[in-house]
Amino acid sequence: MAGRQIYNPNGFKNEEKDGKIIGFSFEFKLQYYRGITPSIIRDFKINVDGIDYEREKILFSVNGETFTMEEIRTLVDSDYRWEFGEFAKITVLNDAGLSKGKHHIKAIQIYAPSYMPFIQEVPCETDFEIN
Amino acid sequence: MSYDIKRSVSLYSYQDEYYNGQLDLEGCLRETAKSGATGVELLAEQMIKRFPNPIYTEEFVEKWNSWLKKYNLTPTCYDAFLENHIYDNRTLSLGEQINMMKRDINLASILGFTNLRTLVSTPMDVIEGSLEYAEEKNVRIGLEVHSPFSLNSGWAEGYMKMIEKTGTKFFGFIPDMGIFCKRVPDVVTERARRNGASEECIKIVDDAFAKRVSDGFVKIKYDLDLGKANMEYRVANKMPELMDAITKAGGKEADFGYANQSFTYTWCDPQDIIDNIDYIYHTHAKFYNVDENYNETSVAIKEVVEAYKKAGYKGYLSSEYEGGEALRDALTVDSIEQVRRHQEALRRAIED
Repeated sequence: MAGRQIYNPNGFKNEEKDGKIIGFSFEFKLQYYRGITPSIIRDFKINVDGIDYEREKILFSVNGETFTMEEIRTLVDSDYRWEFGEFAKITVLNDAGLSKGKHHIKAIQIYAPSYMPFIQEVPCETDFEIN
Repeated sequence: MSYDIKRSVSLYSYQDEYYNGQLDLEGCLRETAKSGATGVELLAEQMIKRFPNPIYTEEFVEKWNSWLKKYNLTPTCYDAFLENHIYDNRTLSLGEQINMMKRDINLASILGFTNLRTLVSTPMDVIEGSLEYAEEKNVRIGLEVHSPFSLNSGWAEGYMKMIEKTGTKFFGFIPDMGIFCKRVPDVVTERARRNGASEECIKIVDDAFAKRVSDGFVKIKYDLDLGKANMEYRVANKMPELMDAITKAGGKEADFGYANQSFTYTWCDPQDIIDNIDYIYHTHAKFYNVDENYNETSVAIKEVVEAYKKAGYKGYLSSEYEGGEALRDALTVDSIEQVRRHQEALRRAIED
């Protein structure tokens, strides 16, 4: 299942709230062959420029709504499936965002389709730029 | 014995074009028809957004039926995913799992399918508990026999006993032709090369595969713990010895990766089809690479189709292209061309 181009090259940006930068966000597709209920996502490991971000700092948005990683454990509503071939938005709360210029992300998507004997851990990395 | 073998395409085959936005659901149906197939197999969770809600609407069903008519396609098989670990803290109860299976049987029936593919992880009592409903809806439940699982094995035997016990005509097997691989698919070997696997290690892996083919694979046992069943299967088929040989040859990550990957393909005797034909209602014609001369580089299409003919099979062979997986990291995937070639290879094997 590996090897798909999952990142939206135009999806990397800093996130602001009340005029203050609270973190950064990006968009990626699931490295899999069907849509899933987010409840089978076990984790995302996100590393940007060598820095790991904790699970508690990661938010998952699909179809216009945002969930914590703890919340998606029970997210099974049909309107909030992560559809095959569609982007979900990930927000990482780090207070400072990312500096303008070039960066590198390595994310591991960890998910568990019920029929698979092993949990899937799929790493995907890319270079990107914050304008 | 007289046979009636028809050709279908599983829309799984077009996943790369769908993922990249080049084909939508109707586009996949159009391509299926262009390939010469008369049947279509669907993974609703792949191509129907907000699954399963649209399937309950008249609007969607009318659209679906109008497409089938427009492209002259018969719905052959609905591929279900029994998500029985939908929550991370528990497995769904037996009753919940049966309800999920019934939901999928109903969805298949709404879309006109008479076969439903269920996965190897489906507990036997979930199938048993769904049989009455399957009969009511005229949808046969087919357990996918996907490599490394196989017919005529300890794993299949348990299900056979259930068939005998219940006398059901609404449960059987859906063989996936990945169980008839004579070689590791060449596109998989090429990817290993791209990733830096050495010629020496590739040869060790390919020779070990050839030896498993000539000696016969040790078959997998029934165990709901699929991880355990898989590991035992790999050990019985001498994976530790292979890994030792790779270590001795100075193998690196790509070499071990290739060695590991080789255990996802199986060679079974096509006689298995003949032995079990009364319980085979549909078939996944899995393939990896068909060259310009219509030869599949791994699956022994002719030999297997011969067995289906000899057995008097009356059903569909449904092209299921999986070679894209080994290409997409570096190369362009052309599922449309691959399916076209595969349909022609099947046609020749059926008609010649």
